[in-house]
Formats: sequence, structure tokens, C-alpha cells
Amino acid sequence: MTELLQNLIDGLGRGSIYALLALGVAVVFGVMHLLNFAHGELITVAGYVAFWTLGANWSWYLVAPLIILTAIAVSLLIERIAFSRVRGASDFTMLLTSFGVHFVVSAIFLLYVSAGVKTYDQPWWLANTFKVGSLNVEVFDTAVIVVTLITLVATGWLLQRTMFGLSLRAAAADFETARLMGVRSDSVIRGAFALSGLLAGIAGVFWLMREGNTTPSAGIAPMLSGVLAALIGGLGSLRGAVIGGFALGLAEILLRSWLPDGIERFTDGFVFLLIALLFIFRPQGLITVPHAERV
Amino acid sequence: MLSRLFPRTDRDIVFPMGGAVLLFGLLVAGGLLYQTILGSGSAERLVTGMMIDAIIVVGIQIYIGNTGVLSFGHIGFGAIAGYVFAVLAIAPTEKAKRIPDAPFGLAGVDMNPWLALVIAIVVVAVVALFVGLGLTRSGAQSGAVAPTVITLALLFVTHEVARNWPKLTGGDRAGLGFRVGQALDSRVPIYIGLLLALVVARLFAQSRSGRLAAAAREDDLAARAMGVNPVVQQMVALVISVAVVGIGASLEVYEVGSILPSNFFFDYTLLTLAMLIVGGRNGVTGAVVGVVVITIADETARRMGADGFEFFGIGLDGAPLDWIFRENLRTVVLGVAMLGFMIWRPLGLLDDWELDEWLHRRFGADAEEPETLDEALAREVIELHASNISVSFGGFRALTAVGLEARTGEVVGIIGPNGAGKTTLINVLTGMVEASDGSFELQHVEVSKEPSYKLARRGIVRTFQNLRLFGALTVRENVETSALVAQQYRSTEVIPSVDALIAEAGLWDQRDRRARELDYGNSRRLELARAVAMGPAFLLLDEPTSGMSDTESEQMIQQVRHMAATVGAGVIVIDHDLNFITGISDRIYALDQGRVIAHGTPAEVQSNSHVRAAYLGTEGS
Amino acid sequence: MLVVSGLTTKYGAISALRDANLTVGSGEVVGLIGPNGAGKTTLLNTIAGLLTPTAGTISFEGGDVTGSAPEKLLRAGLALVPEHRKIFVDLTVEENLKIGGVTVAANERDELLDQMAEQFAVLRAKWTTAAGFLSGGEAQQLAIARALMSNPRLLMMDEPSLGLAPVLVDVVFELIDSLRQQGRTLLVVEQNATRMLDLADRAYVLRSGEVVASGTATELRAHDDLFDTFLGG
Repeated sequence: MTELLQNLIDGLGRGSIYALLALGVAVVFGVMHLLNFAHGELITVAGYVAFWTLGANWSWYLVAPLIILTAIAVSLLIERIAFSRVRGASDFTMLLTSFGVHFVVSAIFLLYVSAGVKTYDQPWWLANTFKVGSLNVEVFDTAVIVVTLITLVATGWLLQRTMFGLSLRAAAADFETARLMGVRSDSVIRGAFALSGLLAGIAGVFWLMREGNTTPSAGIAPMLSGVLAALIGGLGSLRGAVIGGFALGLAEILLRSWLPDGIERFTDGFVFLLIALLFIFRPQGLITVPHAERV
Repeated sequence: MLSRLFPRTDRDIVFPMGGAVLLFGLLVAGGLLYQTILGSGSAERLVTGMMIDAIIVVGIQIYIGNTGVLSFGHIGFGAIAGYVFAVLAIAPTEKAKRIPDAPFGLAGVDMNPWLALVIAIVVVAVVALFVGLGLTRSGAQSGAVAPTVITLALLFVTHEVARNWPKLTGGDRAGLGFRVGQALDSRVPIYIGLLLALVVARLFAQSRSGRLAAAAREDDLAARAMGVNPVVQQMVALVISVAVVGIGASLEVYEVGSILPSNFFFDYTLLTLAMLIVGGRNGVTGAVVGVVVITIADETARRMGADGFEFFGIGLDGAPLDWIFRENLRTVVLGVAMLGFMIWRPLGLLDDWELDEWLHRRFGADAEEPETLDEALAREVIELHASNISVSFGGFRALTAVGLEARTGEVVGIIGPNGAGKTTLINVLTGMVEASDGSFELQHVEVSKEPSYKLARRGIVRTFQNLRLFGALTVRENVETSALVAQQYRSTEVIPSVDALIAEAGLWDQRDRRARELDYGNSRRLELARAVAMGPAFLLLDEPTSGMSDTESEQMIQQVRHMAATVGAGVIVIDHDLNFITGISDRIYALDQGRVIAHGTPAEVQSNSHVRAAYLGTEGS
Repeated sequence: MLVVSGLTTKYGAISALRDANLTVGSGEVVGLIGPNGAGKTTLLNTIAGLLTPTAGTISFEGGDVTGSAPEKLLRAGLALVPEHRKIFVDLTVEENLKIGGVTVAANERDELLDQMAEQFAVLRAKWTTAAGFLSGGEAQQLAIARALMSNPRLLMMDEPSLGLAPVLVDVVFELIDSLRQQGRTLLVVEQNATRMLDLADRAYVLRSGEVVASGTATELRAHDDLFDTFLGG
């Protein structure tokens, strides 16, 4: 029982980061029908920023917001340079474009910075735990879960209670009609990428804290988690993306602890297999949010 | 039999095979030239590598090009083939060093490499069969997301398994390897593999299966309406494609002499996709050109990265340039190439231009303009009965208790204002929409629940209000799609020849033009010809004169009449042009708000007050 | 206010609209009638900026707006209630109205919201309900109110009575009538030609992508066989 609870908390901690990443992917998909394989690159760049600033003895208190700002800036930059030119193109084109962006960005770092692993200092409280009953709860996990919840609430507020959020939701539902209402396509798309960058930045702070190092291909793992979680949740739905993220996190942790020794190494493989099976039997994702319809 | 698989012998068998041989010759000649001029071992290795890449890229092209489904997993299939080959072909003495405890006693297997190759191909083809089943369940279609994700998952799963099962695969660091001297040192097998890949790729594209797959790629809905079951063709494409990739992957492992999980993962996926995108994914010639171009670009980038900028002995050195041209420049070059092309030229350098097709157009014997079609002799009358059809979309009743009767040899018109349910009725009769109530029968056999492609094969064929042609295919190929289906499923009926139909539609001069280049009137006529090529029992036409001038509509009446008569089909036609409808119909059904409000001869319906009211609107109440 | 001249729009090879000429004066109610496929929706969509014409010009209030983006045209004062209404089914009635007023300043938007609540009792009753749960007639009223939220100078409507039961058709036409009485400038595409001609000052008849007749409503009502003109009999 204790182990189960322990796993649940670990899973929630991991799932929180995935939920934020997935939400970022889903926001962009909603507006542009683009599955952003380059989403992880925001964290790659942020990783190097962390390496340079922490290496210069900046404190994490300064570095964390800087990471977030970096992610937003890079997200907007990528939109400007690559995605703005393929708006309205076929899904095939957009998929490959985002794939291409992923490669170019990671290659640039491989090329011009270094192929090696760059380590930096992790926050001093990273490994601290405290006890709740017989459970060992990591401070880190708590922080992640709390911050994620706050972020999700704030994002929810942004989407539900502001005109910007309303424009985003309308554009995601029906882009053309939203334009008829006067919503500017440029503004709403950039807004989506900025929001996506913000979410990636927050997720990235914790991801990078945990990793303690960065490499040119650091972006692959978060990208995969974000994309897969968003897909699990069903690409049309923001709520689904969040649920997908938590589901993925929990699945990973639970699988790891349940799989017999020896097969444990295949956890990642199993996760992919499960996802493939999911897509075979339920291509629309786990969550189908029904549209309001008069019966 | 051969004509069932390949519509035209010279265009579909002779020239493609010749073209494949020619491509092979050019590629080999070019490679040999390069390595002779440079005379270095590295040049030789480069050319060998390029040949193998060509086999694999051509293999991938067979799937992505013909089905339009983006697969990220083909290199994963390659990994499977490569490992099977390695495990079987490597001598037991070598295996004892790396994988002494391999399961199933594989460590002791000592197999002839060529046998191992064959087994590797069989194994990976079987895996493809299973994956293909999964893809079809997920609704693979040109551009869909699910199949891309599934294939990506495959890539990851194979990578993970290869890394984490050292007992079988040698794991992440060491992998598996042939003993020095045991690896392949002759290029002949590679040449054979390349020639085979090119021939198979071209023949598949020209074959019945390849053509039907391409039709579905262009327009899935229209293909189904012409009796194509895209799922089957995609499976065939996948299995053949994977088999070819398997050959290439095994040869790669044999030639290099080793295999590691990272050999068949993201980097190689990027390389092969970049080659396909840059060259042109819809054609084999394009794929080959892409291989050459990217190999040159890749090699140039590698040299620039390694030695600074040096081009055939002319050196350009200096710190600033050094900063740009570093090691690993290649990945940037590849990524930028792929990105650039997706943005500015998504169809690649060559799109679907094929060397042999060009040669055929220039040097092939041309068909003569055929005679006009004769009208069919009297045929057995077939009846279509729809009764009590109701359709609801959510809360909206599109049709309520609609009944309709039609017979081969007669023309039935359907009229009604916008929103009356006319297109919905046609959608029901062609299996695109399911009726919530009611049924319809074809010659007393109930067919209400059958999917579009089955109804088309039974002889219920349609055209679309919004015109759905197979855009990238030529006029001839559009009509051939239906003819290919008809050959297999409607062989007992009258099937007019493709050429005669094209001539009848006034499209003979444009028979080799792409459908999307036709002007409007010709497009409509092509759609009609394509439908008639099925030898249908019933032609369901949805607003065939929409957007046409009065004269064009006149011509269309004649066209429809004559074409229908050549196969003895019954016609059910929706249109707003009263001239057209009265000029062509034996009977008319008038619909309004989902119900039949009048039925009779044109004169009767035209003077019916309810019909007039429906069109012009009633007075205020 | 609106002058359309020589407008031609194509969908690929399909010439959906050929050489159309049309004017709408300030305060006028102009009808666009004709059978389906005649190009009426194409004409409205081209004016609204959703489609780009291959030839011809559109000028609105003296300025050339040919080929402008829809969001720009909306800001210039041209609003469209699209065919099939296109309300945002998962947004509430209030949110649909709000997004209609996205280009308007916040306090003015709140004022307009109050006005809509007053004018459309049916919407006030379902203020916080998701728009997808509205009936056809209610949805049509929402679509019109939503377009009014941007304070348009010219309001275009594409087949407002489409798919509605006769009783609801009455409601819609009454609504259009009251807009007319408020002095609004309207350009309305309708299949219900009889009722449209009752309300309109002038009308144009489209068939097969071309304007085949035009004139004051009185002239057209007196037209010998409108049915035949419509359907090419």
C-alpha cells in the first residue's frame, strides 16, 4: 500500500511535467493543426541557458524565470521562421516541417556548442524529502505538483476569463469564423505559441532541475512525452492533454515498478507499445470530449 | 492475367522495367565514375553507401509515395531485418564472443548469409503485415496523424528492444559484428538488390494495386466511390515496401560488417526522409535523384566540416569559415534541406516525374483515337428500390420517409431547394451516410448497410457536387481506376473501353494531362467518364451542370444520355437547372425539407403548386 | 456604401461567380435570390474576404477592399452571418456574443451585451448555456446578434431561414424587418424569394454564377415567371 502511494506521488510528479508539456502541444495543435515535434527544443535551448548562467554563478531564483522567458522567445522565433510559412498546408507538410525544425535546432547545438554533456548545479533542496506517515515525499515532487496545479488554474483562467483566451478557443474551434468576428490570425497564432512556450518553460525549469545536465538532444525526451501525452488525450482537447500527461506519468512509474526484473529495462519500449496499441484501437485518443449538441 | 495487373503492357511493364534498368545504369555509372576519378577508398565506400541508401529510400518510397501515409517507422523495420540477418548470418565463433547466451539457441546457428537474408525479409514482411493491420484499424489515410504515431512508436520500440536485450542483440555499445574478412566485399549483391528495388518499385506503381493506392491517396472518398478498398492496397504497399527496405538493411549490415541500435534510429530516419522529400516522394526517379543530391550535399558538408572548405583541391581556409564548417554540419544541412523543401517545394525536385514515363511519351507507340461507342444492346433490367429512408444528424432530420424507385435504362431527376436533402439521399444510396430508418434494395437484394466501395462494385456509382477527381493522376489514369475495379468485380457487365470513353468525353487530346489541370467543363466530363468506366447499373449524378453555362449544360445532357446508354445504366440525377432536368428525366422527384413533395413526369412536377412554393418560398403566415 | 464590380471567383477550375455587379446604398435592404449553386454564397464570401476573387473590385465606403482579410473588413464595418450560422457550439451564448464584439472596446462591448440581452429574450434565457444546445431558430438569432456585436455598418446574411421550420422562418424575417426599421443596411441571401422581396428595397437574381436580373422589389415581384428565371425554365 505504501509502495502504491509512493508510486502515485512519483507518478503525479512526473505526470505534472508531462501535463504541462502536453498542454503546450495541444494549444498549438488546436489553432494550427500542427503537431509540434520541435516543442522539446525549447527545453534544449533553455538547458544551455541554464548551463551558462548557473555556470556564471547565478542563482536558480534568477535562472528559473530566465528559462521561462527563453522558452517563450524561442517558441515565437520558431513560429516566425518556420511555421508561419506553412500555415494552411497539408498535415503531411506540417508534420515534416516540425520534424525538420527539431533536427535543425538540435543540430545547431550539436554543431556550434558541443556534443558533450554540460552539467550544472542543481538546486540544493532537490534531494530533500520529508515524511508523511510512512511515506517519503520528495520536496521536488511537491514543488512540481503545486506549481503545475497553480499553472493549470492560471491557464484555465486565462482561457476562460480573458478575451485572449476566448479568441484562442474560438480560433481552435473554427478558425475561419473567428476571423469573420475580427480575430486576427497572426495575433492568435503567436499568442498560442507564446502560451505554449510559457508552459514549456515552466515544465522545463523542473525538467532541467531534475536532469542536472543538458545535451543537444535533450529536447527529444520532453518532446516525445508532450506529444504522446497530447495524443493519448485526444488532440482536440486541452483537458484531454492534461489528463493524458498525468496518465503517461503514472503509467511510466507504475509499469516500472510492476514489470518483473529483467523486463524493467524495457519500460520505455512497453510504453511505446501501449501507445501504439492505443492508436490502433482508439485513434481518437483516450478522452473524447463530446461537443455540445442538441439531441 | 497480366493485363488485369497491368493495364497497358508497354506503359506499365516494358517501359518501367527499362526505366528501372536505365536508372540503375545511370546511378552505377555515376558512382563508378566518381570513385575512379577520386581513386580513394573513402570514395568507394561513399558510393557503396549511396547504393544501399538508394535501396532503402526506394523501398520507403513504395509506401509513402503510393499511399501518401507518412511513416516514420521504416527504419525500424530495417532494424528488425538487420538484426535477424546479423544473428543468423554471423558465424558461431563470433557470436560466442558477443551473444553466447542468445535465446532459442541462436548462438549456435551457422547459416549461409543469403539464406539469412531471405529469412530476414520474410520475418520483417510478417511484422509489416501485423503493423499494417494495426494501421488500417486506425484509419490510415493520406495525411492522417495516427499512422505516423504508430510507425514512430515502432521505431522507438525496436530501438529500445535492441538496446535493452543484449543477450540477443549485443546491446547498446557493442552490438553485433562479423569477423573481419567475413563481411561482404563484393558489390555485386548490392547491385542486384538495387536493380531489384528499382524494378519492383516501378512495377508496383504501375500495377493495379499501386494505381488504386495512388487514387486513394489523391482522394480517399472518391476512390471508395469507385469501388477501391484503400486498406487492402495500403497493406500490399506496406509489405512490399518493407521487404525492399529489409533487403537494403541486411545488405548494409553485411557490407559494414556490424550493427548497432543507433545505426537504425533517428539519424538514419532523417537521412532517408530528407532524401525522399528533396527528390520527390511521389516517384521512384525522384527518390533516386534525392539520394544522389543529399549524398553529395552530405559528403560536401562532411568534408567542409572536417577539413575546412576544400573543393577538388582548392582550399579556402581561415578562422571565420572554420567556425561555420564544423563537424556535424551534416545534420544541420540535412535538417535545413528537409525544412526548406517542405516550406518551398513540398513535392520535391521531381515530384512524380518518371524517366520511363517521359520516354514512353516521346518514343512509345501511341494509341489511335478510337471509334465512338455504341449504345448497349438491351440488357436485363435492374431495379433500385429505396423505401422509407430517414436520416438524422444529431437533432437535425435531413430526410424523413423518402422513397424512390429507379430502373436501368431510365433517367430519374431529383429537385428541391437548398437543404432539402437531395445530396443526403445520394449519400445514403452510395453508402456514405447511414440511414437511421428505412432501407434500399438492388434487384431485390438489401444493400442498405454496405460500405461505398462494395456498393460501387455492385454497380451503384456516383459523381460529386464538389468535383472529386484524382488530381495528380492523368485523365487516362483516372478512368483506368474504375476500369481496373470493373475488370475484377463487374466483368459480367458491359464495360466500355477506357480509350473510347475518353474520346467520347471529348478528352482524347488531353488524355495524358493531369486531372487537376483540366478546365471546369472537362473536369465534369472526366468525372462522368470515370463513373461510366465502372460499367455501372446506376449512375448517381450530383449537380453535374453546377457552374456551367446554358450551352455547356445542353452538351452535358447529351453526354449523360449517350454515356448512360453505352452501358445501359439507369441514371439518378440531382440538379437545379430545370432546363437540364426536364430535358433529361423520365420522372422527377421533388424534395423539400427532407420529404418527397411531388413525383411524376417533368410537366406534372413543374406545374405542381407545392413545388413552386418550395422554391420561391411561401407568403408570410 | 458597397460597390461590387465585375467580380469573378473560382474554386480551382470551377468558375463559381462570373462578372458580378452589385451595389448597396446606405440604409437599403438588398436581397440576393436564386437557386442553390447560383453563387450567392460565393459572392458573400468573396465580399467578406474569405475568398479571393480572380477579377473585379469591391469597394466599401469609398475604399478599395478587394482581397482584404476578413478581420480587416470586420473592422471596416462589414459583418457576415455565414451560411449554416457557424456558431461556436462549445462556447456559451454569452461567449459567442463576446467574441462577436472582440474588436470593440471593453465597456462598449458590455453595453452591447446588455442591448442584445434586452433585444433577444430567447438568448437572455440561455445566456450561460453552450451554444450547441440551442435550437435552429435560437441559433440563428444568436448568429445575427453576434454579428451585431461588432456594430457593423453593413450586415450581410447568408440564408438566414435555411433549415428552419415555417414558424421559425417567421421569427427570422420579423427580426430582419426590425433591423430594417432600425435603419440598418442589409445584404441578404435568401432562398425564400417571396418573403425576401416583401422586405427588400432592391434585389438581384443570380443563376449559374451570373446576375440574370435585378431591380426594385416591386419590379421583380411583378416579373412574369420568377420560377422560370430561377430555374432556367
